[in-house]
Amino acid sequence: MNTKDIIQSATKSISSNAKRTSLTILGIVIGVASVVLMISTGKSFQGYILDQINSFGSNTMDVIPKGFEKFGGNLESLTIEDYERIKRLSSVERVVPVIIVNRSVHYGREDMTPMVFGATSDIFGNYGMKLASGRLLDESDERGAQRSVVAAYQTALDLFGNRDPIGQRIVIGEESFTVVGTLKSAGSLLLSDLDKPVFIPFATARSMTGQRHVSYITLKTVGDSDIAKRDITELLRTRHRIDNSQDDPDLDDFIARSAEQVTSIISSVTLGLTVFLALIAGISLLVGGIGIMNIMLVTVSERTQEIGLRKALGARPRDILIQFLTEALALTCGGALVGLVLGAGTGWILSRIADRILGEFHFILSPFALVAAICMAVGTGLLFGVYPASKAARLDPIEALRYE
Amino acid sequence: MPSAHTKSPRAASRTPLIEVTKLSKVYVNDAVETPVLFDIDLRVQSGEFMAIMGPSGSGKSTLMHILGFLDRPTHGKYRFLGKDTAGRTDDELAIIRATKVSFVFQAFHLLPRATVLENVMLPLLYHPTIPSAERQHRAQAAINAVGLFERTNFLTSQLSGGQKQRTAIARSLVTEPQVIFADEPTGNLDSVSGIQVMGALEKLHASGHTIILVTHERSTAEFADRIVHILDGRIASDSRSHSRRSSSGLTSLK
Ligand SMILES: Nc1ncnc2c1ncn2[C@@H]1O[C@H](COP(=O)(O)OP(=O)(O)O)[C@@H](O)[C@H]1O
Ligand SMILES: [Mg+2]
Repeated sequence: MNTKDIIQSATKSISSNAKRTSLTILGIVIGVASVVLMISTGKSFQGYILDQINSFGSNTMDVIPKGFEKFGGNLESLTIEDYERIKRLSSVERVVPVIIVNRSVHYGREDMTPMVFGATSDIFGNYGMKLASGRLLDESDERGAQRSVVAAYQTALDLFGNRDPIGQRIVIGEESFTVVGTLKSAGSLLLSDLDKPVFIPFATARSMTGQRHVSYITLKTVGDSDIAKRDITELLRTRHRIDNSQDDPDLDDFIARSAEQVTSIISSVTLGLTVFLALIAGISLLVGGIGIMNIMLVTVSERTQEIGLRKALGARPRDILIQFLTEALALTCGGALVGLVLGAGTGWILSRIADRILGEFHFILSPFALVAAICMAVGTGLLFGVYPASKAARLDPIEALRYE
Repeated sequence: MPSAHTKSPRAASRTPLIEVTKLSKVYVNDAVETPVLFDIDLRVQSGEFMAIMGPSGSGKSTLMHILGFLDRPTHGKYRFLGKDTAGRTDDELAIIRATKVSFVFQAFHLLPRATVLENVMLPLLYHPTIPSAERQHRAQAAINAVGLFERTNFLTSQLSGGQKQRTAIARSLVTEPQVIFADEPTGNLDSVSGIQVMGALEKLHASGHTIILVTHERSTAEFADRIVHILDGRIASDSRSHSRRSSSGLTSLK
């Protein structure tokens, strides 16, 4: 029997019993569909999160004080002097000191508590925030420690409704500020925190609070972020007199964290989650495989006489084995194709819904999902087809011919 | 037919097609031994038309299955075309079945959802040397030889019993085997269809084919040149048929 004969005979026997075939492959369809759905949704979700992080700019780095939870931790560990020195490193640029001012915001009778960020003007570029109206903070605001404020999208909306915010006066703590600009929405749920703060010049925040430390420092790395991280770490260890020859981050009183690091943590977490979900989905494929085995056993016993006949006509055991294995494979692969389309289709619909809710959610049908689904289907076909097929191949021709 | 005379004497002169000595068969099921054949000695030459006759249960089919490589003897020697067949693997036996022997069964054993042509082509799937391009042509020739040309593309479920058995005969022809075994080929047929089927076998024999017929009916056995009687697993007699029947006179009678 050549390959063409084998395939012809398999498709003929499968199509001769279409209703049973379609019920049989349902298990495989559902199994493959859920594997494809899980993997592609996982990938799409991962892509979404990474896109969000990268929209900040991939070479962003934050230097933050280590929290109180670590021994020796000190939220006031980063000083303005530290900022001045980091700024002079060649591996960084657009270094922005940030003081988070813990004061409430009033406008008329509105009383709100958005985060008040005192920061130099590079913060908008570093965080990828776009101007909606008016102007951003600039050098002259900084030099004169002006009472100017830029409101992020949601806060501007909450405070001013559909009035023009530009030129309005708001009170932060005790002091009166003029709104000079508003920002566009960051556009997604994940970044919705960026829609809430108001921004004032760093010098203003410093004089309001009188503090000599910064809440944190954000910057852009130049070139390799590992080099920037090393430079900053060395500098701060020296300045803070931390003897850390073992390079043990637990001893430091600060953390320098790049977006790449966050990205890779998120990537590995979502990958783990995806694999876990796909494995659970894979179990349903196994259940589908048992259905295939069951129907193949029924087929073999229904066609015992035919098997006896084929053997009498000269079929070798391996010809029979291949014939029934091919039928099992054709069933699972047919089911896999339908499942692939179903899984990808469902994933696409879900991604459209996610796009409505989260914004900027793209559907990713990973080639890995396709390959995994096909391999699993072939594997299931072989795994659960081998037993019935070898049972058929071992039948005694005379007994098979006599079988009623 | 001249071919019957040109083919058989050469083969008959030396190596017999089938040569069985002291053959016996014991079925063993769950430690229960059922001896079925005892000390069978038999020679068949190419070109013969031989009937194995005997009452039901006497061991005819068992003998035929052994001769046709569907089963193995328990003791004794079986030489086919001069070669000892002991120790053949399952694959080797399958190749012999695919190329050297073929069967016609009482129950026809046709694929019901396939056409006459597809059924007749089936053995060629397992033939190691006949190219697939030749299958259809060979199958059609075999169908024509049994007078079923007009039924070529009928599903076998649409045929009468006699037509089914003639399809099975065409299927047994298509690989041009050394010997055709027919086990009670008329057993499921009315007498007219039975005679037609025997006529088809007669025609094959006349064109040089070796046929071994298994039957419990004397009237069917009489179509053969030679009748071997089996009683309780032993050969009781082996004789040339004196009053050989022919289908031609009988079919014109009705
Ligand atoms: N597989 C088997 N196991 C045990 N006994 C068997 C088997 N096949 C046939 N027999 C017995 O062998 C004897 C001969 O059977 P068989 O060759 O079919 O006879 P026939 O064809 O002459 O009617 C019967 O008694 C039958 O019951
Ligand atoms: Mg019998």
